[in-house]
Amino acid sequence: MTATTATEGKHRRGKKPGVTPLEAEGLRLGFLMSLPAQLLLLFIVVFPLLMQVYVSLTYWGPLDGESWIYAYSSLNWFDNYGELFADGRFWGSIGRTLLIVVVCVPIEFLLGLGLATLFVDRFPGRRIFYSILLTPMMIVPAVAGYMFFMMFQSTGPLNDLFSRITGLTVDFVWLSDNDLAIVAVMIADIWQWTPLMFLILLAGMMGVPEDQLKAATLLGANAWQRFWRIVLPKMKMVMIIALVLRAVECFKIFDLLFVMTKGGPGIQTESISLYIYKLTFADLEWSYVAALGLFMLIALSLLAWVGLVAMQRAQARAQAPGGAEA
Amino acid sequence: MASIRLSSLSKRFGQVTAVDRLELLIPDKEFVALLGPSGCGKTTTMNMIAGIERPTEGRILFDDRDIQNLPPSRRDVGFVFQNYAIFTHMTVYENLAFGLRVRKLPRTEIDRRVREMASLMRLDNRLDWLSAKLSVNELQKVAIGRSAITEPAIFLLDEPLSNLDAAFRAFMRTELKHLQHQFQQTMVYVTHDQIEAMSLADRIAVMNLGVLQQYGSPAEVYNQPRNTFVANFMGSPSMNLLPCSAVENNGVPALSFGEVGMLSLAQDDALLRRFRTAQAPSLVFGARPEDMEITTSDNDAGLAATVTFVEPIGPRTVVHLDMGGKTIKIAKEKRFPIGIGSRVNVVPPRGKCHLFDAESGAALGLE
Repeated sequence: MTATTATEGKHRRGKKPGVTPLEAEGLRLGFLMSLPAQLLLLFIVVFPLLMQVYVSLTYWGPLDGESWIYAYSSLNWFDNYGELFADGRFWGSIGRTLLIVVVCVPIEFLLGLGLATLFVDRFPGRRIFYSILLTPMMIVPAVAGYMFFMMFQSTGPLNDLFSRITGLTVDFVWLSDNDLAIVAVMIADIWQWTPLMFLILLAGMMGVPEDQLKAATLLGANAWQRFWRIVLPKMKMVMIIALVLRAVECFKIFDLLFVMTKGGPGIQTESISLYIYKLTFADLEWSYVAALGLFMLIALSLLAWVGLVAMQRAQARAQAPGGAEA
Repeated sequence: MASIRLSSLSKRFGQVTAVDRLELLIPDKEFVALLGPSGCGKTTTMNMIAGIERPTEGRILFDDRDIQNLPPSRRDVGFVFQNYAIFTHMTVYENLAFGLRVRKLPRTEIDRRVREMASLMRLDNRLDWLSAKLSVNELQKVAIGRSAITEPAIFLLDEPLSNLDAAFRAFMRTELKHLQHQFQQTMVYVTHDQIEAMSLADRIAVMNLGVLQQYGSPAEVYNQPRNTFVANFMGSPSMNLLPCSAVENNGVPALSFGEVGMLSLAQDDALLRRFRTAQAPSLVFGARPEDMEITTSDNDAGLAATVTFVEPIGPRTVVHLDMGGKTIKIAKEKRFPIGIGSRVNVVPPRGKCHLFDAESGAALGLE
């Protein structure tokens, strides 16, 4: 399988000796059409990136009163990077962010999958419920954050509800509790982003050919077997896309946290994005932030690459010329 | 093994009646073809037997057992779809094994039966292929094998050969017949191709617009069509149907075709017998293209016609004629030396003519 992927990749990249005139024309046109975009990209991606690399190797900051061009006067080579590895607060924020990803994304995935299974069939009121279900996704995250900020107040509706149900006086201080604060944030994230999962997975599920499901039924498969043996395998690609998309998005979580807890209590809910924000605007450690940002870029690129390889493998299996393991 | 009884079975989709009070008994181990043009309700009937569609009215009985509330997965019915519905994400092996795996059979038995079926279907060297890579002919074989492997009591085939190329279709026809002998199943076969139906089926149920037109052996349906629809649908080229009226010619019963001529019934006892059962003078005369004769001699025995087109198709030649504004076709065995524009006489075959009531289309004088 890996071999197949590798050769396919080589084909795509290397200029094949047998490029037909038609293909050559297409390539030329493609190049010219994308030239403006490529130049723009060069300016907004490559230049800032190089600048970031440069700054990350110095102690330059806004308080120096110097243009960034002269940052080399405080050149320190890799001091910032060294500091980064010893920065407990940095690793702590990464750990918390990963925790949020690892808890939220699978829950959103499972809820989304369940809802998609429900909505793939027709039932009365399907359209209305569909619209209602998609609403959270449309709400500006800051507004959603504010909504949950109010919900989770110790005198808020949630505690009130619990009190009424249990008959006891429930007064959790959700957002100021060391452990509950992050749970509150997770609940808000799940509430807001399950609809996206649902939407993507429903689209994938709609794409499962009806006749194959019928065939499976007539071959004696029950609903569970149909789901497991037909629907899930057919949705593999969509699932990977949904999971990668949400994992990357969730890793960048900022707005909900910023509104709900500002990373508190203490740094109990500080995500990596929030930490970088604080370093930039409160501590003004710009060169350190540059180093941190680069590190994150590399780490996330590696993660995305792993995801892409997995996806390509799945695709290669689907397109293998005949051969595939039973 | 099972017989199937459809009892006043109806299916309506909104205002459209797809199947209208269908009565059909399909005996155990028989091969029955549901034959008809598109939209005649044959596939809907099939889907109701399989349980994909719920009947609006009526009952379906397998061996006198009402299966109304039995889910499709428990009806023990094999179904081959027109587009095969092969599981494209699986290999041929996994496709064949599917029905056995969902029944949770032991691995070794699944493996044995899959390999058996693969060799029967000549798919041995395709077992580990992804089914998305197969040719249409191979997909067809997988589709049949996948259903046959669970040894269902009833086998339903929905136009299984319509997507195949001509040579493979002929091959599969023979193959299907073999399979049925081997598995001894009750087979219901939906098709719009009367040749397929004639060559495969023990019985043919001809349907049109949701209504059963005739149910009988291929020979019966071909030789004794119950109405003009069946007469017209069976056979290629189809039966020539000519409007005519009952008259008396010098005391002898005859059919008048207007300006084209008159057909005396004095010498055709069979036709005369049919003629005697007529209720109204307005009739439709029918004769198969293979049975009719063309003469160029100027006697009075036939009907006047003009050759408009000569169509040589392999071993046969189909002659198109204009007969008083109506086109009729006559099939001759070999090359037929006649020129376009020739004026000829058409002689109906003695003892092989059909007569229908013009209004109802019903055949006259059937036993």
